[in-house]
Amino acid sequence: MTRHDLSRWVFSRWAFGTVCCALAAITAAAQSHTGTKPPDKGAATAAAQAKENRDAPELTEFKKRVEEYAALHRKLEATLPKLPNEATPEQIDRNQRALATLVASSRPNAKLGSVFTPPAPTYVRALLTRLFASSNKRQLRETIQDENPGPVKLTVNGRYPDQVPLTTMPPEVLEALPRLPEELEYRFVGDALILLDPHAHIVIDYLPAALPQ
Amino acid sequence: MPPRTFRHSALVAGLLACLLGCVSAGQSTAPATPSSAVVPAAQPAPSASPASLPNRPDSLKFIVFGDFGTGGRPQYELGIQMAALHERFPFQMAALVGDNLYGSQRPQDFKTKFELPYKPLLDAGVKFYASLGNHDAREQRYYKLFNMDGKLYYSFKAPRQDVRFIALETTYTTPEQIKWLEDELQGAKEEWKIVYFHHPLYSSGGTHGSDVTLREALEPLFVKYGVSVVFSGHDHIYERMKPQKGVQYFVTGSGGQLRAGDSRRGEPFSAHIVDNVQVFLAAEIFGDEMVFNAISRTGRVVDSGVIARRQGS
Repeated sequence: MTRHDLSRWVFSRWAFGTVCCALAAITAAAQSHTGTKPPDKGAATAAAQAKENRDAPELTEFKKRVEEYAALHRKLEATLPKLPNEATPEQIDRNQRALATLVASSRPNAKLGSVFTPPAPTYVRALLTRLFASSNKRQLRETIQDENPGPVKLTVNGRYPDQVPLTTMPPEVLEALPRLPEELEYRFVGDALILLDPHAHIVIDYLPAALPQ
Repeated sequence: MPPRTFRHSALVAGLLACLLGCVSAGQSTAPATPSSAVVPAAQPAPSASPASLPNRPDSLKFIVFGDFGTGGRPQYELGIQMAALHERFPFQMAALVGDNLYGSQRPQDFKTKFELPYKPLLDAGVKFYASLGNHDAREQRYYKLFNMDGKLYYSFKAPRQDVRFIALETTYTTPEQIKWLEDELQGAKEEWKIVYFHHPLYSSGGTHGSDVTLREALEPLFVKYGVSVVFSGHDHIYERMKPQKGVQYFVTGSGGQLRAGDSRRGEPFSAHIVDNVQVFLAAEIFGDEMVFNAISRTGRVVDSGVIARRQGS
């Protein structure tokens, strides 16, 4: 190899590296700007990726509203007779319906998106899309769609329909989504991701078109 | 509550079924002969010589079933078979693998779908330990007769023998629950570890089948920590698997519901399927052996065998 050839080789490597770095920077900047795409898994472990997703700034307001709801729930529940761990069906039913009434009257203006506030909807949809794009997409869908009732009319503060079974939430999905306090659960109904208050048996909020196709 | 005439007809039908079942040669639900009649572990029992339940005085005796809370006639008839068995084989407890109440879950539903069908057992002091299925409201955990102590997942030491039962909630398998399970299995000092929950890791059921996602999360823990037996439901059939990585799996999801013919034959993990009649499982643990009989709504033993405890667990 002549000195001229060597110079050309070094220059070509430098130019290639520069272009790659520039592309990577542009991509990162674009993702940061849109703020809706969960970071790629890359070499990170799934657990680290999930934690990174859950800690995303796009979820800050959502998590704040979740905590606010949980605090309201606890405050209202404290006004009711404590449900014993060995309760009768009458006690369970009475407690559940009383709590549902209190919750509904305490948040009369709650509507779709009251908890899933922007930019959380876009972020969560993208997060689920990314999760389902992994190799076990078919298994995840099968688990969630198992006895998924399909489209059901949902109402914020409304009772979860008695005849509708609860869809199963796979461990991977729960690992990826932001953690919820004990007062709330995620469930899918049709393609909507709902926030269910399992104590009051009511829907607190829901995110339409959340289940990736 | 079902109409009075229905309850009477169910009672009569159940008693007839019991009588017919009890007089069928070699098919009796009565645990009579000593353990010499047992069959090798996880082998299909020859229909003419089922493994008898030894019925030892100091053994742990229990039943397992799920997907039952319909309030319909088959559930009541199977309940009558359970009561008939209990007179001869006084099991101390029942493990429920979920779907305890279908549809409405008002106070009267707890009566018609649980308290009445199993009244003789409840009156006799049999304790029911529930897990929750996808048809169950989460608040069932507070129901006194389900003995869940307000918890969605929990464990308890069996009243006899060295056995720990662990009940999971598999419609909502949070990372916290999996961590709890690992801690529980790691800390369990009992020789037998038995886990039960609603969704089957292995199943030939045509409607649902194996929950592979759940299997990926749970099976490594079962294998690592020496779980011997796992019971599930969800598919409305009875199925015994061949041992998988040393663990014996059952589907006992026809405690009231039944999807007749709803099974895929020829799955490599499957050992025995009953998909034409409601079934519950009766089992007895003494020392290192668990003898089981699967008993139908008509009182026939439709499967039986002996399972050896996993060693080194």
